Amino acid sequence: MHSPVEQFTIKALYALSLFGYDISFTNSSLFMVFAVLLSSGFLFFAMRPASIIPGRLQCLAEMMYEFVANILDSNVGKEGKPYFPFVFTLFLFILFSNLLGLIPYSYTVTSQIIVTFAMAFTIFIGVTLIGLFKHGLHFFSFFVPPGASKPLIPLLVLIEVISYLIRPVSLSVRLFANMLAGHTMLKVFAGLAVMMSGAGGIMVAGSAFPLIAIIGLTGLELLVALLQAYVFTILTCMYLNDALHLH
Amino acid sequence: MVKRIWIYSGIISLSLITKGALAAGDSSGGLPQLDITTWPSQLFWLVVTFVIGYILISSLVAPSISSVLENRSTKISDDLETAKKAQDNAKEVYTSYEESLSEARSQAAIAAAKALEEAKTETASRDAAINKKLAASAKKAEARLSEMRDEALSSLEDLATETSQKIIAELTPVKVTKAVVKKHVAAHAKLQS
Repeated sequence: MHSPVEQFTIKALYALSLFGYDISFTNSSLFMVFAVLLSSGFLFFAMRPASIIPGRLQCLAEMMYEFVANILDSNVGKEGKPYFPFVFTLFLFILFSNLLGLIPYSYTVTSQIIVTFAMAFTIFIGVTLIGLFKHGLHFFSFFVPPGASKPLIPLLVLIEVISYLIRPVSLSVRLFANMLAGHTMLKVFAGLAVMMSGAGGIMVAGSAFPLIAIIGLTGLELLVALLQAYVFTILTCMYLNDALHLH
Repeated sequence: MVKRIWIYSGIISLSLITKGALAAGDSSGGLPQLDITTWPSQLFWLVVTFVIGYILISSLVAPSISSVLENRSTKISDDLETAKKAQDNAKEVYTSYEESLSEARSQAAIAAAKALEEAKTETASRDAAINKKLAASAKKAEARLSEMRDEALSSLEDLATETSQKIIAELTPVKVTKAVVKKHVAAHAKLQS
């Protein structure tokens, strides 16, 4: 019997190394490639007709585009436009990784803390750099809440700095933990079904219950996959807004 | 500028993560996610695939979608503008039609009033002419009538004179001249009338 976290094991498909680091092409890498190629390929071919009155696929592609464009526009405004390709790529990468991970025997890229943390940390560094470039040293006034009473300012600045520094952690752990928990739960129920059916007797009939639970949980995981991609995107936009507009 | 920010922040974050991971050392045992020997490969392929995705989307996908959306919005606004123009045009035509209609109405009213006036004057003049004619002929007839009456009266006097002379001659021996009788008859007739 496999452990429920067995599914997260990285398996090298093609061994590679660079400067002494092991950069083998793994099952995780394969699904990263799938996510990127599927997302951009889908959008590219769905937009092929490029007609004024869209067909079904074109409509879907436009909806995805406008969804992200609206998130960016409502959170950041006009100044957010140059960052659209990055935010859109991020959304598509996470969305397709999450959705591909729901297919049995596939691999969930976003269930790896290092992947989500690398993305979240890059966003964190990126928005900090944007804030520093845009506002210079004035950027640090972001840590002083407006309208705070003077004696409280040191404490509030401390809290603000901690909450700012914790952002990449919370952003990455949110996505990672959701994926990890959901997929582990699915595997636990699947393992239960296998165990019950192996036990024989009345347990074989009873194994239908965990199977039914898996069907429901798969629907829930589909929701989580979509929702977490949305949450990651909207938080990125909010951080971007903080960097561009401070308060 | 924007691309460069993401490149710099990617490099900074990756180097910090690598440094942190090296400092923390291998703590694998539980979750496969915490096995740091798999991290370099994951980070490397994450960067490779994400950069490829970014290039594909920023240079190929996003422009095609935004151009389609822009085309659509310009088409819609153009169509709306055309429709507005057509509406304005229709309004203009309608107002000019109304104007010409009211003008025609007022002209018709003027013409009708004029015609009525003309007809009135014409009838009046005709009336007057007919009245004149009638009056003239009535006068003539009256004149003739009085003439005839005078004639009749004078012939009546003559008759009366002759008859009176004859009666006097038959009944009395008095010889009376015609002139005397006539004088008496005339006086009598004058008394009578």
